[in-house]
Amino acid sequence: MLSGDLHDRRADREKRTRPTVVVRYRPVPANRRCLRELGAGLEEEGVPFRAEPVGEDSTARELAYGAALASDLDVGVGVDAAGNTCVHHAKLPPEVPALAGPPSAARGMGHNAARLVVGIPFKTIDQ
Amino acid sequence: MTLVVGVDIGNSTTEACAAEIGEDGLITYLAGALARTTGVKGTTENVAGVVEVVRDALAAAGRAPADLDTILINEATPVISGLAMETITETIITESTMIGHNPDTPGGAGLGVGTTVSLGELPGRAPGSPVICVVGAGVDYERAAGDINAATARGVPVTGAIVHGDDANLIANRLRRPIPVVDEVTLVEKVPLGMPAAVEVAEPGRTIRTLSNSYGIATVFQLDPEQTRMIAPVARALVGNRSAVVVRTPTGDITDRRIPAGSLTLIGETARRVVKVDAGAEEIMATLRGVRPLADAAGEPGTHVGGMFARVRDTMSELTAMPVGEVRIKDVLAVDTFVPQRVTGGLAGEFALENAVALAAMVRTSRGPMERLAARLRAELGVRVLIGGVEADMAVLGALTTPGVGRPVAILDLGGGSTDAAVTTARGQVESVHLAGAGDLVTSLIDSELGLENPGLAEEIKKFPLAKAESFFHIRMEDGTARFFDEPLPPDAFARVLVLTDTGMHPIPTRHTMEKIRQVRRAAKERVFVVNALRALEQVAPRGNVRQIGFVVVLGGSALDFEIPDMIAQAVAEFGIVSGTGNIRGTEGPRNAVATGLVAHYTAARTAEEPAHALG
Repeated sequence: MLSGDLHDRRADREKRTRPTVVVRYRPVPANRRCLRELGAGLEEEGVPFRAEPVGEDSTARELAYGAALASDLDVGVGVDAAGNTCVHHAKLPPEVPALAGPPSAARGMGHNAARLVVGIPFKTIDQ
Repeated sequence: MTLVVGVDIGNSTTEACAAEIGEDGLITYLAGALARTTGVKGTTENVAGVVEVVRDALAAAGRAPADLDTILINEATPVISGLAMETITETIITESTMIGHNPDTPGGAGLGVGTTVSLGELPGRAPGSPVICVVGAGVDYERAAGDINAATARGVPVTGAIVHGDDANLIANRLRRPIPVVDEVTLVEKVPLGMPAAVEVAEPGRTIRTLSNSYGIATVFQLDPEQTRMIAPVARALVGNRSAVVVRTPTGDITDRRIPAGSLTLIGETARRVVKVDAGAEEIMATLRGVRPLADAAGEPGTHVGGMFARVRDTMSELTAMPVGEVRIKDVLAVDTFVPQRVTGGLAGEFALENAVALAAMVRTSRGPMERLAARLRAELGVRVLIGGVEADMAVLGALTTPGVGRPVAILDLGGGSTDAAVTTARGQVESVHLAGAGDLVTSLIDSELGLENPGLAEEIKKFPLAKAESFFHIRMEDGTARFFDEPLPPDAFARVLVLTDTGMHPIPTRHTMEKIRQVRRAAKERVFVVNALRALEQVAPRGNVRQIGFVVVLGGSALDFEIPDMIAQAVAEFGIVSGTGNIRGTEGPRNAVATGLVAHYTAARTAEEPAHALG
């Protein structure tokens, strides 16, 4: 029984993806640049992420909160159809995101999503 | 029954003590009150503050203003203090010899040596000798990485890169051969091209080993002993960094220059000495001890210190209508400090800790316009106003109402502008001294040493404990305990050091750790308050022997500080003295000593004059 339990958990772990920040975005062509900048910010800070396109029309904040809940690191980023970005943490109330910004702030939002994971103060974003 | 209010006009606060004196000379203390001092202490501008505090004290005591018999005010002499900071060293980088900032995320790891070449010139570079690539502003990381890869493929070995943007890892991750990359070099266009250079980046959590070592630089550039001697300051400046660049230019150098900071003339009653400000605080204070008691002091015109002395004199002369020439500096306190200053010639906004000397000076007169102030008060409130005894005597009388205090007692009044001390002998004589340097100097030291340029925040750091926001819902306090919150903390507080003020948590926008800020705060208090407490007690103690004092009562606004009284208690413990924060009348804490002393003094004088009443 006990060994069975252990086996199950190990199998579970293998199925799970490696811990990442989750980026959920509306798949419109204009968001290509925004995603690239977000990814650059996260990569520069050395934090892994995965990007998931989302079909239904939601706000950046709703996307970010869903992404944070899906992330093993508890940090999610949402990008709405206009390219606005939002960074959220799974432990925060849904209506209170950590950060939000216009499309021009995408690189900085990537940096700060990563810093939320690493636990260092946010970078001042130049837009 | 006679209703009186004792009023103490201090540098920053005006305090009142309402009391009823019975026919038998028995004092019934009713209430205390506190207000901000309006204008400079001892001037007619104080009237508004006094009127307010008297009204408050009577209201708290439940007595009508019409019943008030007498207001007792202290002999408040104006004390004006001034502060100045003189930076005495300067770091200069010539010919852009080095880049020694600490970017958050440098890329790659290791050491690269080669000739500096801009990214644009890379394709035209002949294969063979190794190069360091300089990437200017606005170049995309994909393009930079692509060009470097292309050059390497052509046989041009790119061994390191210097980058303008925050791109180091993005570039390093896209290279086929890993190289060290130093980024966030804001003035990258000033990096000299065509010169031999070395780029070093340490693994995360480590510091550089080669460029912070003189012989490491000598090995890299094949320097002879004379040249190595020249480059040694560069190595020293790079110690402790995670990344660095050194460029070998013909006369490039980094120098530590001493700035002539002028001199200070200390005039004692019998001697006169001149001391250079850049000799440091220890030398200045030793010279001061040599000429004590100080009759006057002057700073060299054109220096910060000279300007500060002139300012203090002018203000005092304006207030008391005394000619400027007659205003005398009565005490000076010098403190060694350091100031983070932008390095001249730096390419990435490097800072160096420069030495500085902070000076506090104090002027004091015995000719305060008290009579004018008393007359204005009489007109305003329509009651008798008496100017009571000397402030120090009154403070001692007030201090003696602290439970457990006996004679001989010394008081230490830790204020904003000055540190005052008084001692009373068993026979009732009072010796007093006023010293420059107190709370305001501590604030200014904290502000400059942390590079805040925000005196308001420095004041908060002085007064309140620190914490670090460890998540959105909890903070870790200075002593290691944690505190949890129901509501999330604001994003600007995330992962920052916070100061826990009575109006909420305020983030400190610097990269200093909590431990570092705490250490700066405590060191500033030690260097001002502990030093001044000992200096003051030494000067008032019988025959200069601090051991002769039995009790020390710490008073004044800074006595409410959460750690200063403990520091002083620890410092005087070795003398076998009882020291602690005052608790005036057993209820008021370290406040209200002079106001209480005024009432006690008035009562004693009245009882002595009318013995019949006292007996009846």
